[in-house]
Amino acid sequence: MADVAAVGWASFLAACAASLLAFAIVDPGRLANASELIDHIDRATGYGVGFLFFWGVGIVAGGLSVLLIRSSRRDAREQATGRVPD
Amino acid sequence: MSKSSSVAGLTEGGLEVSIDLRDIPRRERLEAEAAASGDMYFRHEKIHPREVDGLFARLRTVSAQVLLGAFYLTCWISIDGQQILLFDLPARRFHVFGLTFWPQDFIYLSALMLIAALSLFFFTAVAGRLWCGYACPQTAWTEMFMWVERVFEGTANRRRKLDARPWDRDKMLRKGAKHLTWILLALFTGFTFVGYFTPARSLAANLTSFALGPWEWFWIGLYGLATWGNAGFLREQVCKYMCPYARFQSAMFDRDTLIVSYDQVRGEPRGSRRRGQDPARAGLGSCIDCQLCVQVCPTGIDIRDGLQYECIGCAACIDVCDQVMDKMHYPRGLVRYTTDRALASGGKARLLRPRVVAYAALIVGVTTAVLVSLLGRTPLIVDVMRDRNALYREVPGAAIENVYQLRLMNMDNEIHLYRIEALGIEGARVVQPAEPIEVPAGGVQTVVMRLQVPAANLTTTSVALELSFEALDDQRINRVETTRFLGPSEP
Repeated sequence: MADVAAVGWASFLAACAASLLAFAIVDPGRLANASELIDHIDRATGYGVGFLFFWGVGIVAGGLSVLLIRSSRRDAREQATGRVPD
Repeated sequence: MSKSSSVAGLTEGGLEVSIDLRDIPRRERLEAEAAASGDMYFRHEKIHPREVDGLFARLRTVSAQVLLGAFYLTCWISIDGQQILLFDLPARRFHVFGLTFWPQDFIYLSALMLIAALSLFFFTAVAGRLWCGYACPQTAWTEMFMWVERVFEGTANRRRKLDARPWDRDKMLRKGAKHLTWILLALFTGFTFVGYFTPARSLAANLTSFALGPWEWFWIGLYGLATWGNAGFLREQVCKYMCPYARFQSAMFDRDTLIVSYDQVRGEPRGSRRRGQDPARAGLGSCIDCQLCVQVCPTGIDIRDGLQYECIGCAACIDVCDQVMDKMHYPRGLVRYTTDRALASGGKARLLRPRVVAYAALIVGVTTAVLVSLLGRTPLIVDVMRDRNALYREVPGAAIENVYQLRLMNMDNEIHLYRIEALGIEGARVVQPAEPIEVPAGGVQTVVMRLQVPAANLTTTSVALELSFEALDDQRINRVETTRFLGPSEP
């Protein structure tokens, strides 16, 4: 649970910063102009989807980091204690 | 036994002291459990910090009231129909106390963030986690939610008993009322938050007529949920497990940073004693080991173990310990704001030091630069683009004509008329637009400009040209853009 909170919150903060920077430079209402797939996107949707996108990327990256770090620690501990992994 | 008798002596003076023994070994027990299970985190037990009164507690309450009051009220203040603080995302304009910022003003946003970061460094270097203890939204909202909890469920001891009791009508009513109030407060917080990004008044009108857009519902819900979860349930866990600042802070601390510290030399050996007993003769220090500092701690730590990353610098332990010292007729300050160096040497705290001075100088420097730049800011932006269809055109009267597209952005809060003048080429004449260009406040106007130059005055095929734009009613609003004027190779 603490992992979920840490990853969720840290990526939330990162997504806030990323949205701020990205949308200060790019008008989300004009994103459709830069895309071959999307015909139209209004600003509110651009801001919302953009933020969720950044947050999602952060959660995936943070979650994978936690998984990798924790599993490597567990392996190290199992080796040290001589237990056989499940 | 000796502990309870010594503590009973303290109740005479009106300071309610009853010790919940379950609280004391909690940290040790949880640490042991965590170590045994190999878990990175302790299992969480709800902390019911004991109520505390005193200088720092009052400062904290006042700070929370001022900050929350400012947050809930500012979005409703308008001057001349303009909300004074509005980060109007749909229109991509920030209205900040009479100034309007455009995406082109990104530099100011960066400067503001720089000032905020430097201020955080400055205050942390001087007095540790002032931000956490007094200004962090997490602290402010937790204070508010705990106040609600206290209203419905009573003091820390009563809350603990209520939690342990089986569910009956009274418990359901109390808990239900608390949660309902929490949810309403959280939703109102989410609504207020969104009110800084879309005009609050129209948001309220849309809310009452159920005409909010899906994204507005989403943001109100998300921020409501975050408030409810963070302030109602997670509380100190946000500070302990989720806050990045707590982990960075050691880089900003040094031996001269004011931190909430326990004076070990004076306090140890700790121990209970009879009132009036001379501690020196009993071989004791000033700490009577009453555990009150642990009970008031919102993060549940023991300040006597030294500086810990969980300590949010709220100084509740200072307040409560000073009360105990008063009761015992000992000098105050067994737990106090002091520096590592002062504690070690017994000397005075040295607050003015190179890093503090450097941070202060940087803050003053950047702030001055921003203010100077804001005062001298021209609220007009002009884009000049050459017409892409034709390089030039010969017109009757032996003149050459170039066509440009102008985009004027009026960043002022008033409507303006702008006059165009062409400089740098003799005889250059703006044929169109014939009248000054009108741009509404905060508006953008695109116009086609036709410029004619007598062919005889063109010496080369491409001549540098300056276009001057000036507001008719205010000469200070002017801007000069450079472009090129093209002509035939053989005049």
